[in-house]
Amino acid sequence: MTETTIFRNESTKPISSKTANIFGFLLPGIVLITLLLVWSLISFTNLFPTYAFPSPLAVLKSFTEEIIAGRLLNDIVASLWRVSVGFVLSALLGIPFGLWLGQHINARRAFVPMLNFFRFLSPLAWIPFAILWFHIGDKPAIFLIFMASFFPLALATMSAVATIPNIYFSVAKDYDIKGFSLITKVVFPAVLPQIITSLRVSCGIAWVIIVAAEMVGCQDGLGYGIWEARNGLRLDAAVCYMIVIGLLGMIIDRLLNQLTKLPNIRWGYER
Amino acid sequence: MHSFMTKIIIAVISIIAVLGLLRYKPWKSNGENSLKELIHEGNNKKAIQTLTVGFLPVTCHLTCPVTDYASKTSVSSTNFNSRVFSDFPTVVSALQAKQVQATFMIVPLAMKLREQGVPIKICYLGHRDGSEIIVGKNSNIRSLADLKGKKVAVPSLYSNQNFVFHKLMEDYGMKQTDITFIILPPPDMPTSLAAGAIDGYFVGEPFCAKAELDGIGRVLYYARDIWPNFISCALVVHEDLIKTNPNVVKDLVRGIAQSGAWAETHRAEAAKLAAPYYRQDLKVLNYVLTSDPKRVSYLQLTPTDEDLQQIQNQGIKMGLLTKRIPMHELIDRKYVPLKILPARINVAKIPTPPQK
Repeated sequence: MTETTIFRNESTKPISSKTANIFGFLLPGIVLITLLLVWSLISFTNLFPTYAFPSPLAVLKSFTEEIIAGRLLNDIVASLWRVSVGFVLSALLGIPFGLWLGQHINARRAFVPMLNFFRFLSPLAWIPFAILWFHIGDKPAIFLIFMASFFPLALATMSAVATIPNIYFSVAKDYDIKGFSLITKVVFPAVLPQIITSLRVSCGIAWVIIVAAEMVGCQDGLGYGIWEARNGLRLDAAVCYMIVIGLLGMIIDRLLNQLTKLPNIRWGYER
Repeated sequence: MHSFMTKIIIAVISIIAVLGLLRYKPWKSNGENSLKELIHEGNNKKAIQTLTVGFLPVTCHLTCPVTDYASKTSVSSTNFNSRVFSDFPTVVSALQAKQVQATFMIVPLAMKLREQGVPIKICYLGHRDGSEIIVGKNSNIRSLADLKGKKVAVPSLYSNQNFVFHKLMEDYGMKQTDITFIILPPPDMPTSLAAGAIDGYFVGEPFCAKAELDGIGRVLYYARDIWPNFISCALVVHEDLIKTNPNVVKDLVRGIAQSGAWAETHRAEAAKLAAPYYRQDLKVLNYVLTSDPKRVSYLQLTPTDEDLQQIQNQGIKMGLLTKRIPMHELIDRKYVPLKILPARINVAKIPTPPQK
């Protein structure tokens, strides 16, 4: 099974592209509508009191309120900005670090325990320090995103490099490729598919973290929106923010998934 | 491979650039502040300075948005921007980093900060009373003694609610271990009570009114019945601001004092004014302010030595405060105006928030 099927959970049976398209929209559509119906039904029958279970109509109303006030757009931009900056920073540092570790066994021995230690430390544990060191605003959130995605990225890159067949290096040696060009011409292209997969995974982590990170030390953003809705005793607004967060997460993952389809990367899967 | 990588790099850089532009809006002169802090942009062109004041959406901090509104719709030499926070730890960091130099804060927390060497002064109070002990609506709890062996939520260790509750237990001859205390964020208290996770809670408004309006809880004690002239929060100002710009502090304390005097007599209007700042349901705020004058009071808000000494003594007794800070170091009363007139607010101009 390839990486793509794991994530997209597609049937392995060959089906014609036309039916695949119809089903691709129809099936999730049915699930979505059923979910909405169940939600409306529960809130209609007052199974739970309204303060504990906002109705779809109330959520829709707060949606329009937030959009008209311009807050929603501002919060989306704020969250996207923090995730992008934190994530790009961790990719810029984490991938080269992983490439280097993958090639040097002693460096691996030295750094891997420390990397693992920090990887298992929940980024949320850093919240108090993030606020103390970076105060309030974009910086603490960016720091938390960085802490969440740097370690998994570096480790994944490192183990990808370690699995490159030795024959690659022998051939590279025959062609007298070494040093920096060995990394750019052989190692990096060979591990690119795995790197993209780990980018997707750590981007998912980053998006989950941003919501929690923005609950403290921020003045805007989607996570802050939820927190503020709670403070304002408006759970309908909180649900509206939850929907936006989930949808954006899906879109981001879809976009990153497009990378794996590019011809330059595809070959990696077909080895 | 190279052209491919170049494309990726260009794509990443352009995404970051577009987001950065949208985020910081360099074409707008005052950046992000203009977005949501200023809800009622007024016509006060005479102001020569601005000051950001922190607050949380609780009625104890109501005078903050009122002062914000008043400074922009009347003539004053300082424009006040109220900046909403959602929790006290963030307020503390903002104050330490001097991102806000004046803010509302629970009194024992301010004492703790002063104890830890953060140079702040208490210049005025938020409001009197305004807190209740809430228990389940259908529970058979009729007095404190019935809470023995139960779970009670308070907003923070360093809240006066926590202090006063312990004082009350002493008065009833109860042991510290008779009640289990749980620290909960105030917005979660009504729902936790409804779910049966806690048996009662003691917190500031509007989180008590919310439980009453939703039919979850009822008032066991009003704060004033336990501790007359109960104080929850105070206006805290960084000493640097007092040193460098005493005029702005004078404007601030006068503004807050006048807003309090106005809110005391214009309760429904104050609820209407504050609802958009708090992003809360007008109905709840209106209930807090107008249902019973016993609930909140915006009178006698000049901090007295006796009031704060009483709180400090209780904190020291409980072991939460460790140093006895002389009251003259903690309180600065010289900016409180001699005669407090109600703020001049044109009631007809207050916009009506959307009703739910």
